[in-house]
Amino acid sequence: MSGRRSWVLVSGFLAITIAALGLSAYSGASSSQGFAPPQPVDFPHPRHVQQLGMNCLYCHYAANKSPDPGLPAVGTCMGCHNIIPPTRSEIEGFAPRNAAAIAQLLLFAPQGTPAEWQPIPWVRIHKLPEYVHFPHMRHVNAGVTCQTCHGPVQEMQRVYQYASLNMGWCVNCHVKGYKLADGLLAAGDTAGAQAAANVEPKKARYDCAVCHY
Amino acid sequence: MSQLPTQPVVKRREFLKVLGSAGAAATAVGCSQERVEQLIPYITSPDHTVPGVSTNYSTICRECSAACGVVAEVRDGRAIKLEGNPAHPVNRGALCARGQAALQGLYNPDRYRGPMVREGSQLVPATWEVALQRVRQQIAAVRVAGTGRGVRFVSQHESGSFGGFVDQWMAAAGFGEHLAFDPEADLAVRAVNQAEYGSASPALDFAAAQLIVSIGADFLDGWGSSVSQQLSFAAARARLAVAPRFVYVGARRSLTGLNADEWIACRPGSELSIANAMLAALIGGGGPTLAEAATAAGVSEAALQAIVDVLRTTRPSLVLAGVGTPDAHLVAQTVARINKAVGNVGPTVKPADGPVGLGATVGAQAMGALAAEMNAGSVPMLFVRGANPVYSLPRVLQFAEGMQRVGFKVSFSCYPDETAELCDVVLPDNHTLESWGDSEPVAGTLGLQQPVMDPLFNTRAAADVLLDLARGDAAMASRFSATSYRDFVMARYPGGREAFAQALAGGIGSGSTLTRAAPAPAMLRTTSAPLTGDGEFYLIVHPSPVLGAGAGANKPWLQELPDPVSKIAWQSWVEVHPSTAARLGIRPGDHVTITTPAGSVTAPAYLYLGIHPEAVAVALGQGHTAYGRYAQGIGINALDALGATVDGAGRLAWTQARATVSKAEGRSPLVTTEGSARQHGRGIARAVTAAQLAAGEARQDAHHEFIGDASHEFLPGLRAPVANDAQGDLGDPASGSKGMYAPDHWSGMASRRWAMTIDLARCTGCSACVTACYAENNIPTVGARWQGRSLRPFHNANSGWDTTPGANILKGREMAWLRIERYFEGGEDGAADFETRFLPMLCQHCGNAPCESVCPVFATYHAPDGLNVQVYNRCVGTRYCSNGCPYKVRYFNWHGYGEVERRQYAFPEPLNLQLNPDVTVRGKGVMEKCSFCVQRIRDAENLAAQEGREVAPDEFTTACAQACPSRAIVFGDAASEQWSVSRQVEDQRAYHVFEELNTFTAVVYLQKVNHPGGPR
Repeated sequence: MSGRRSWVLVSGFLAITIAALGLSAYSGASSSQGFAPPQPVDFPHPRHVQQLGMNCLYCHYAANKSPDPGLPAVGTCMGCHNIIPPTRSEIEGFAPRNAAAIAQLLLFAPQGTPAEWQPIPWVRIHKLPEYVHFPHMRHVNAGVTCQTCHGPVQEMQRVYQYASLNMGWCVNCHVKGYKLADGLLAAGDTAGAQAAANVEPKKARYDCAVCHY
Repeated sequence: MSQLPTQPVVKRREFLKVLGSAGAAATAVGCSQERVEQLIPYITSPDHTVPGVSTNYSTICRECSAACGVVAEVRDGRAIKLEGNPAHPVNRGALCARGQAALQGLYNPDRYRGPMVREGSQLVPATWEVALQRVRQQIAAVRVAGTGRGVRFVSQHESGSFGGFVDQWMAAAGFGEHLAFDPEADLAVRAVNQAEYGSASPALDFAAAQLIVSIGADFLDGWGSSVSQQLSFAAARARLAVAPRFVYVGARRSLTGLNADEWIACRPGSELSIANAMLAALIGGGGPTLAEAATAAGVSEAALQAIVDVLRTTRPSLVLAGVGTPDAHLVAQTVARINKAVGNVGPTVKPADGPVGLGATVGAQAMGALAAEMNAGSVPMLFVRGANPVYSLPRVLQFAEGMQRVGFKVSFSCYPDETAELCDVVLPDNHTLESWGDSEPVAGTLGLQQPVMDPLFNTRAAADVLLDLARGDAAMASRFSATSYRDFVMARYPGGREAFAQALAGGIGSGSTLTRAAPAPAMLRTTSAPLTGDGEFYLIVHPSPVLGAGAGANKPWLQELPDPVSKIAWQSWVEVHPSTAARLGIRPGDHVTITTPAGSVTAPAYLYLGIHPEAVAVALGQGHTAYGRYAQGIGINALDALGATVDGAGRLAWTQARATVSKAEGRSPLVTTEGSARQHGRGIARAVTAAQLAAGEARQDAHHEFIGDASHEFLPGLRAPVANDAQGDLGDPASGSKGMYAPDHWSGMASRRWAMTIDLARCTGCSACVTACYAENNIPTVGARWQGRSLRPFHNANSGWDTTPGANILKGREMAWLRIERYFEGGEDGAADFETRFLPMLCQHCGNAPCESVCPVFATYHAPDGLNVQVYNRCVGTRYCSNGCPYKVRYFNWHGYGEVERRQYAFPEPLNLQLNPDVTVRGKGVMEKCSFCVQRIRDAENLAAQEGREVAPDEFTTACAQACPSRAIVFGDAASEQWSVSRQVEDQRAYHVFEELNTFTAVVYLQKVNHPGGPR
């Protein structure tokens, strides 16, 4: 093998590596966007949100008052499921049901025996690096709908990471501003979105030390 | 032809190919899914708490007998910060370093995880049932033998009902004495105060005094209630031009002594004749003349005469005694009479306002008697809680030997200390932050102690264990109706449970603690006793202002905190006067052996101007043979060189012996954070005299004129440090869009200008702010013996590790974002008096920062609100910024102290539970520095936004300012006249350090005010 040819190979290899790294960074490949791990309980968001009309804040109760959104305590689930079992025979127009997810829940929290309940080890999906501080309440109270960042959770049989959560994605919104109409549309509120069509986009500070400290 | 192989087994190209694909695979794995984490919810949500939002609980600090009120910040069930309770009468919101470090006692990695019982020569883990069963058996055996009167209970300083509770328990069980042993308590002063003023610990009002004279009373070091004394002393100093002059009489200048305007360096043991002569000069009667006393003490008569003159004419004054000699009680008695004679009782010495219940404490005399009983075999059973007598008593008392002759020893210790290690059963107590209790800071006012979190380990409150033992005992069951100590405390509270529950939130209630059965402090001997031995020198032993008498040594924050006087950490040292050192040929760091009749100790020498040339001094606190990984095997225990001599109230005489001093083999570099003790004309810590200040001569000129200050016009701010933001274009008035740096930008960020003032007239150098900064900002400690990297890893037998304690600090790798610089002025010849200036040094948040312009990756830059920001995730570790910084306040994370897998990890479990979730834990290779507590700024902004308002003036402050027991630090928005800081920067004493460099700092210092002698 001639010396010249090996040099071409080495620089070619380097060029390809750099290009691949650049592309992957640009495309957000370093993000865990789309991450959809199986959960210990196959909690169906659509049933609770779309069919039963529950508000996000019923379970994620701290999202409007804390940096952390909060996870429902097992007691919150069992507030209802103490009387809603996995199986149900046909009643008043509802088809009989055999809900595997409720059965999974009851493995952690047997009905009627709170002393034996165990916490459910949910698998974390959305995680920002530890050098980023994201106060949920500032966003929720500014009117940013949950779906703006978390996507159509109300339609997700299994929750996945909707947005890249990369810094560019954050800063875009902070600089250009959050359009309420877009947020409401993402949340499925078409009427609200139309009414909010002329609301000024809401901007936010984008200095590094607003989030990084 | 030789048979050398010409064809390698693996060709270079193939090797590179393999390497390349392996690297790609590793990269792919690294970039794929992150480590899977779990989110663990509650079973049932606790009431009144929100995840991610702190809940504050009022409780009491038990690190010393002062029992300050604290507020524990608890996040998600873990206490993460201790701050003073602003409503508490003792500390009024401030907290010393030792109090703040209680958190590292709570989360100490060496805490007992559960009960231990002795199997042969070892303590092994056991269940509570097994451990308690053993104790019950032994109690029954003692009953059968009829030796119950010989049983002893040793506890620590008890400034609450617990002491009286133990008295009751011991009496109910038919057992003997309960000894509350506090090696630090100045029993002589308490006994004299009780006799002369009717209160063992009267409140001291420094602020009302016109002259302060301290004869060895180290009221800023831990003598008495140091936080309240410091608050009052700082208030006195804040009177500036008319502040009281402070004269310190003593053989060693402690931290308190360094704060004095004048030091009268008397010979050890001569304090009594000085006090007697002063009293005689004031009221006549017998006693030495001032001239005689001056000769005996080796001081100038004129200096003593000046004090007496002022005492006679100026009222009120405040005279304090707190010497460590065998004559301590007599000095205190004379001083009490001086205070009475010049009318100080009432105006500055306030017997009615002092804390209650500190009296019934014993010292080395009673403990020595106990050791003798133990050695005589007349103690069948011993309970120990809180105290560590095996460490805290001189070896000659043979307490450890006595332990071997006690039939059964029970320890309630949280930690494997020297005493617990010798016990038969360890029933680990809850930490104070996990326990119930009370204290009486002022007569009729009750401080309430409550658990701020669930017990971390399988521990139980000692009081609950005692109640449990009582319940299972036929003789005692009827005497205790409470099922827990919580009920016991509540039942005693006036108004019962409901009133108690209401008062608990504030931490203050009304009522009184249970009184001890033990008598009030009294004089046991009224005669004088000479210093023993016949060496050339006097040995002065004193408690460390940081480690106390040794209880602080297992907390890495306190080990890492440089001693305020010597600036030495993780080490013991011997203070030697430079003239003495020159005579004996001792250089700094040379090992020095001090020999007394009782024993000898060897430690490296620290040359110190503030020690009498005929004396050497060693601090207590180090030299532990147990007590966990941070304490064990560091330095020496000065008690090894002390005999059993006590003062008239039975406290060990810390200055009791003459000693011989000799240079020993070997040398240890001093683990010091000090560059130089002198300013070399740099004007870093400045001072004016009271006369100059009164004449209006304090103002430093040329604040207003700066050339090339392009951004001056459009940014609000301090008169000098206007942010020259964004390094060029945006700071140029001609540039078009200034983005967020424009004052009228929608974000409003540039309308603020965060700034700080530090009043050097108030600062005493106590270093509480340093520990506050460590606690708030997750600053790693780097000095533990396993953290030290060798500079020459391949030449070291220990494979690259340097196990000298403080090895990283020796290389200048400490991480203290905030440090206290201590400078000496004058006295270069070693003979004249000298002045000390303390200066807290932190990132100055320069408006024109030298660090910002050299950063190649914009990891440090100027934020529109005036912060010099360090973005950790941008930093690539070039350290150019640190080279550029004239203040040397940038710290490089050399070894990944925040990374759990490293040997240098600074937060071994469960210390990591203390980490502030609002602050990034920095990794290796990152520059870090003071952020002006940006997390607190953001928190305040978040809260204000939440409540739909602006951040209110002085609504929040930084951790250092919050803790400061001198109230020397003021933080706020200098662009708004509503904030205190904007008034402070207009003070005529204001100056900037290194102003000539045009750094336009946002930290403004206010000059110290000196009060030289002479007519006022």
